[in-house]
Amino acid sequence: MPMNTGGVDPIIVEGLGKIYQVAERTGGFRSALGSFFRRKYRDVQAVDQVSFRIGPGEMVGFLGPNGAGKTTTLKMLSGLLHPTSGQARVLGFTPWQRRPGYLRAMTLVMGQRNRLSWDIPAADSFLLNQAIYQISDGDYRRTLAELDELLELEPIMRKPVRNLSLGERMKCELAAGLLHRPQVLFLDEPTIGLDITAQARIRAFLQEYNQRTGAAILLTSHYMADVTALCERVIIIHQGRLKYDGSLNELSRRMAPFKIIGLTLAGAVTADLRPYGKPLPNSDGAGKRYIQIPAEQGATIMARLLADLPVLDLTVEDPPIEDVIKQVFHE
Amino acid sequence: MRKILWRMWQVTWAEQWQYRGNLLTYALYGLISPIVFLSVWRTIAASQGGVNGLTANDFTAYYLILLLVDTLTSEITLQLLAHKIQDGSLSGELLLPVHPVLTRALVNNLANKVLIFIALLPVWGVLVLLFRPDFSGVTPFHLVLALVAMGIGFVIHFLLGALITCAGFWITRVYALSQFIYAFATLLGGAFVPLTLLPDFVQPVAQFLPFQLYLYFPIELILGKLDPGQIGLDFGLQAAWLLGLSLAFLGVWRAGLRRFSAVGA
Repeated sequence: MPMNTGGVDPIIVEGLGKIYQVAERTGGFRSALGSFFRRKYRDVQAVDQVSFRIGPGEMVGFLGPNGAGKTTTLKMLSGLLHPTSGQARVLGFTPWQRRPGYLRAMTLVMGQRNRLSWDIPAADSFLLNQAIYQISDGDYRRTLAELDELLELEPIMRKPVRNLSLGERMKCELAAGLLHRPQVLFLDEPTIGLDITAQARIRAFLQEYNQRTGAAILLTSHYMADVTALCERVIIIHQGRLKYDGSLNELSRRMAPFKIIGLTLAGAVTADLRPYGKPLPNSDGAGKRYIQIPAEQGATIMARLLADLPVLDLTVEDPPIEDVIKQVFHE
Repeated sequence: MRKILWRMWQVTWAEQWQYRGNLLTYALYGLISPIVFLSVWRTIAASQGGVNGLTANDFTAYYLILLLVDTLTSEITLQLLAHKIQDGSLSGELLLPVHPVLTRALVNNLANKVLIFIALLPVWGVLVLLFRPDFSGVTPFHLVLALVAMGIGFVIHFLLGALITCAGFWITRVYALSQFIYAFATLLGGAFVPLTLLPDFVQPVAQFLPFQLYLYFPIELILGKLDPGQIGLDFGLQAAWLLGLSLAFLGVWRAGLRRFSAVGA
């Protein structure tokens, strides 16, 4: 297995920018006719001055709303797109030069795109990848056995891909993308559309793969559970610009310096909770009540609640990470 | 690279085999025009004692050989890749450290060709028994030369198809362009009629265009109708077009990829 050169960050991005030229017209026949003779184009800044570094073995969540520039950035880093400005070095290569050495050392798995041949079993595509990536028979057998152990491929890899469920197909897509043991993984929504069990399975697999191989992983996902389970560090972009780069915990502390306290009170107590914190709507319908309190006053307020009220149960939670990130977008 | 191509062959063969019903229909579809032309020209030549010096047997032999040559030198690159450029799924192939056109699409073309050829052969045998053409002009020497001419002819046709496919990097749909060029290719390549039946001012144009180099030239070569001078000229033209189209393809592919990556792969 190829190893990262110690000490050097496998992914270095400096001032990366991408402007798309997008044809546009208003609706209607006249406009359609007009655009046939004279097309109007508009520049769209998809990525703007984005810089970051990812160290060996790091698994980083790359977050942002739809159209934020996440996929564009991943495509530039995997060599599919030329940037309009800026630089990137991944494993010492400039990605968009698309050198075979680079393509053999990284992978991009897109949850919404199918790379496997649709009409033949995934096992055939795996064999093709073995030849294309020049994987020796021994390494191929070992890696496939390992991937099979983690993803349970055996029952599904001999069926034509078109007959697989979404979750099964994603497992095969991941396996096809990892057979050559890439040192850098770009994963674009790898769990999109999967049920909870399949999501958890893919998550566990990625964690295990990262630990076993020490590969650097940059992962986009709209499922925060993916990010909280896998990534200590997140990079957030919005409208093409980098908004945050740091640890998830620090993000919570900085953007949402409060805690949420859940209370179950004895009997039909309708105590006014406003003196203790900001009451929140009850979402579980089980008689539990919630208040939001400043994080630094947590211990004092909890002591007061326990002293003043007939508390049966008390929980302390961090605010949902989705809310925290939404706040970053709106900043 | 040999191992990659061999594995690709195995996989694309399996893939093409999945579409065998479609391929068989395609092979039968390919029979229709030549058989119609064969029947029409044969009848005209028999009733008039010949057309422009071509006898009924000349037409029969011409169209029957055309069936084989056309199958061996045809290409399907547009069908394989144009939609991938259009919907962006070419990205998946661009992530692999091999050229998508010069490896996978090329091998896919060959697998498709072999399967169609296998389907065509028994039908062709029946047609030969039915029409009983006189193939006495065919010699082993001409057959060997024709195999070389068909090999080069296929690559020329493949590169032309790849170039038309590359137009998809700039225009959304390439099928109309492809049909437009195909109409010229059919006429000027000898698929409608032998080129000697075209108007006098068209024949020199057809001679120097690439279309006849993968159809009319190999057919006439097999039938032993070309003198050494003409054979030399046509092989020379094949070499020139092969070089020109190879360079054009590499340049257009590179520019196309830049375009693909500029508008969003």
